[in-house]
Amino acid sequence: MAPKKDPKAPAKKAEPAPAPAPAPAPEPAAAPKAPAVDLSSVKIEFSADQVEDYREAFGLFDRVGDNKVAYNQIADIMRALGQNPTNKEVNKLLGNPSADDMVHKRVEFEAFLPMLQTIINSPNKAGFEDYVEGLRVFDKEGNGTVMGAELRIVLSTLGEKMNEAEIDALMAGQEDENGCVNYEAFVKHIMSV
Amino acid sequence: MSIRSTGGGVNDVTRFLSTGGGLGSPTSNATPFSAASQADWAAKRLVWVPSEKHGFESASIREERGDEVEVELTDSQRKLTLSREEVQRMNPPRFSKVEDMADLTCLNEASVLHNLRERYYSGLIYTYSGLFCVVVNPYKNLPIYTESIVEMYRGKKRHEMPPHIYAISEAAYRSMLQDREDQSILCTGESGAGKTENTKKVIQYLAHVASSHKGGTSGKNKEPVQMDGSRSLTRGSTLVNKSLQYGELERQLLQANPILEAFGNAKTVKNDNSSRFGKFIRINFDVAGYIVGANIETYLLEKSRAIRQAKDERTFHIFYQMLCGASEETRADLLLGSADEYRFLTRGSVPVPGQSDSENFTQTMDSMGIMGFTPEESVSMLKVISAVLQFGNISFMKEKNHDQASMPDNTAAQKLCHLLGINVLEFTRAILTPRIKVGREYVQKAQTKEQADFAIEALAKATYERLFRWLVHRINRALDRRQRQGASFIGILDIAGFEIFQLNSFEQLCINYTNEKLQQLFNHTMFILEQEEYQREGIEWNFIDFGLDLQPCIDLIERPAHPPGVLALLDEECWFPRATDRTFVEKLSAEQSKHPKFFKSKQPRGEADFSIIHYAGKVDYKADDWLVKNMDPLNDNVASLLHQSSDHFVSELWKEDIQTLPRVYFFDSYATLQTNGSDMDRIVGLDQVSSGESSGPVTFGAGLKTKKGMFRTVGQLYKESLTKLMATLRNTNPNFLRCIIPNHEKRAGKLDPHLVLDQLRCNGVLEGIRICRQGFPNRIPFQEFRQRYEILTPNAIPRTFMDGKQASELMIRALELDPNLFRVGQSKVFFRAGVLAHLEEERDLKITDTIIHFQSAARGFLARKAFLKKQQQLSALRVMQRNCYAYLKLRNWQWWRLFTKVKPLLQVTRQDEEIQARESALLKASEKLSKVEQEYIDLDKKHAQVNEYCSVLLPVVEEYMMSLTAYYLDMSCSVSL
Repeated sequence: MAPKKDPKAPAKKAEPAPAPAPAPAPEPAAAPKAPAVDLSSVKIEFSADQVEDYREAFGLFDRVGDNKVAYNQIADIMRALGQNPTNKEVNKLLGNPSADDMVHKRVEFEAFLPMLQTIINSPNKAGFEDYVEGLRVFDKEGNGTVMGAELRIVLSTLGEKMNEAEIDALMAGQEDENGCVNYEAFVKHIMSV
Repeated sequence: MSIRSTGGGVNDVTRFLSTGGGLGSPTSNATPFSAASQADWAAKRLVWVPSEKHGFESASIREERGDEVEVELTDSQRKLTLSREEVQRMNPPRFSKVEDMADLTCLNEASVLHNLRERYYSGLIYTYSGLFCVVVNPYKNLPIYTESIVEMYRGKKRHEMPPHIYAISEAAYRSMLQDREDQSILCTGESGAGKTENTKKVIQYLAHVASSHKGGTSGKNKEPVQMDGSRSLTRGSTLVNKSLQYGELERQLLQANPILEAFGNAKTVKNDNSSRFGKFIRINFDVAGYIVGANIETYLLEKSRAIRQAKDERTFHIFYQMLCGASEETRADLLLGSADEYRFLTRGSVPVPGQSDSENFTQTMDSMGIMGFTPEESVSMLKVISAVLQFGNISFMKEKNHDQASMPDNTAAQKLCHLLGINVLEFTRAILTPRIKVGREYVQKAQTKEQADFAIEALAKATYERLFRWLVHRINRALDRRQRQGASFIGILDIAGFEIFQLNSFEQLCINYTNEKLQQLFNHTMFILEQEEYQREGIEWNFIDFGLDLQPCIDLIERPAHPPGVLALLDEECWFPRATDRTFVEKLSAEQSKHPKFFKSKQPRGEADFSIIHYAGKVDYKADDWLVKNMDPLNDNVASLLHQSSDHFVSELWKEDIQTLPRVYFFDSYATLQTNGSDMDRIVGLDQVSSGESSGPVTFGAGLKTKKGMFRTVGQLYKESLTKLMATLRNTNPNFLRCIIPNHEKRAGKLDPHLVLDQLRCNGVLEGIRICRQGFPNRIPFQEFRQRYEILTPNAIPRTFMDGKQASELMIRALELDPNLFRVGQSKVFFRAGVLAHLEEERDLKITDTIIHFQSAARGFLARKAFLKKQQQLSALRVMQRNCYAYLKLRNWQWWRLFTKVKPLLQVTRQDEEIQARESALLKASEKLSKVEQEYIDLDKKHAQVNEYCSVLLPVVEEYMMSLTAYYLDMSCSVSL
């Protein structure tokens, strides 16, 4: 039966989607020397269906309603679409914007497509084995676990540092009563979605 | 990088951490120095020459003639001719203000001094020197101890950040967690060099870093488990509003210092807040690296300060704090007067510039509250302090006709006895005519004025010392969290450094002995063990004798026999009835005159009695009062009175078992000892108070049993606690902090070159650098080396099994290291200073690559999870939208309305329902049918079975019947017969 209330319902389509998880703090502009990528030369190889899917996902991130998304959301959209780009790669695509630009500058869907294509063309090749090997470095006892405390330090101090909230979300339920993390299970968990 | 981008405010701070440029980047040092200055240095051939005023002055070499060098001073253009040894090479300007002096190409006193001075003038007070960290007291507040700075150092490696006490703390904390090895941080230096301040910074850092997983799930989950019920209640309420970042334990830990300082620190000529005791703070951590408890041990409280102070010095802060800060009511309770009414406050009230005693009093009381002291405990402590002062106001007179002391005015004694809860008459008797053991009997012995005065002072000192010990004990109780298992600890030692005055006494001997031991520990870890390990590991190594083995000097002091050392001889003298300080010196000279570190002044009139050549230099000792100081005699009659005090707190203080160390009570008087008078009444009591036996109302003097004749002197007790400390330290990985006082005027920005040079020599900074550069200070077992650095040499080691040594050698080959930089031993690889740091850097770089990819995957995981949720929300929305939209469209369409009205009436629309009903009825019926059918079949089968059975049985029954009939027939026949 059709509902009898909320005559305004169709308008909802234009309303912003629920806020996505806050974007990670942007890295300070890395190596400004890196040349901006020439996106106009990127050949788009998506099918019409794919483009529609992407457009829909893209629309979900538009919190203003101008059919654009902020710079600092680009990485998350790509991730939502199954990619694992590094912040550095995305920054490079965006022409290494300042922290301020990350928040205030916006991108339209047509400009986003070549970026996504670039990322898909050079995917993050690391796989389960690589991650496990990488974490094994911290496995002192050689028993398949690493200290949760150390993992936190590594993730928050090395590379593209993650903040406490991100790490907490990531590690939720992964530490055993001794504070150890089974890293194979951990990597599997992360690669499960 | 991130620091610079955050704006000007923080930028100012980094000025105090590193020279210009980026933080910690080695290349940045070059920026302020132009190529021109480099060329200048090369052309002028600059060197350092000794200078009266500046320690060393820069000069350029004019001419070299054999062993002589002609130089021209840079500033005055004066020309000098010096011997070659006096000239020290200058480092290229590129090395100006280097963060680690072990990096200097020319390592000499002049360069080290110059570097420290340059850095000090730029506000950079911390400098590494090989394995030490050197800090020069800035005598002003630098903005480098804020929480944001703590955050900057957190998780960073030593070489990543400018030198700082935080970097040392971080390194200790990190290696405790990584290597599961206990750590110690040893702060040494002269009074006023900043030991205590830096100790506090270490604690501040650890309290912040090891408890601030506030958002962390593990931290949250653990808390309630470890805290007992009542505590977690108070915790919940106070935590929120009082301090967000620290837990209760951490706050108490931070409060321990202010309390200890109030009771154990005083203003001296050198230092307004000088610690008059040494301490070892042990912070315990659990496996996850959270603080789980702490323990403080103290050494050598300068208790004589409680009764006498030198010019411009004060007694312990708490006395003044109490006198200025106590409320009127409290003052009345404590019978307080004003500062100049007390004889023990030799200098009356001496204010400390910039400090308010009454404000500090409030703070001390607040700290004690946080620490969990009850108000009763606080008041009791103040009472005892007031009593200590009151002791001094008791005065004795010499009787006219004989030597006996008398007390004509007993006002002070009454006040004292009121405060301490003892009977004034008994007290007076105990002081003036105590019972003394003579042979096997006890007799009443009248005291002279000198004896009574001495007894009073000794009691005051002992009372204060016991109060202090009780305080430490009480703090330890608050900081002890037995519920939580400690896995490892970091110990922080804050103890006075070498003391060389013109004439030195027993206290200096103890301090210097301690430092000798600590330096030995350093040499031992850094050097002897090192060389032994090289040997064990079969590494080619020429033994180098740095002339630093301090064992001879330590033996001279602590050796028990063959020949006995200073302490043993001193103890021995305490046994002899006629012994004096003189006889002690004579015996010492006789026993040790040949010892290379012992030196007896030749002129008999010389001020010093003997000298000991410590590693830091020759120290002249004067043996006056050493016997008394070593025996620490106490009037045991009064002690037993105090033990029976009606005041619970006082009797607790004098109860033996609150002390960790058993004490000796022997009774004698100062005066007899000095005059070497009749020995019959000088009885060395050998009563050792045994806490276990002192149950009944026994008095100290009479009732307690003598135990094995063991007699424990101050020297023995100290030696014991030092031995214990050293044993603890030896099992830790030591980190050394050398504190340096820049001038004796407490002035900021002034550095007295000779004073600093003396300290550098004393504390072994220069030797430390040398050892560090010549040896292989970093070593790592093969297995760990492979596990840690295999990532740097992909494909160097075959996947198949390979033993550790072979694997490590392959890896090193792949790393293409200079052969001089490493040695491969039997079980470990050895590296020169800095190599491992370089490998670590490369490894971090390499790991970073993997980590970045992993972080991207992790972020992808998080983003997709969030997106999935969003999509679900979206599709839920879509369903609602579709329905709403459909409804809106139809709602006003007349046909639809008609349709909805008519629809229920239409037969057709019901057909479906009817069919459904019929169908279900049909279904039911057919189900029933099949069920019945089944039943029928079953029954049929049963019937057939029964039939079959019957047919089998029937013949049997018939046969039976027949035989039965036959039987009956037989029977009837026989009966009839």
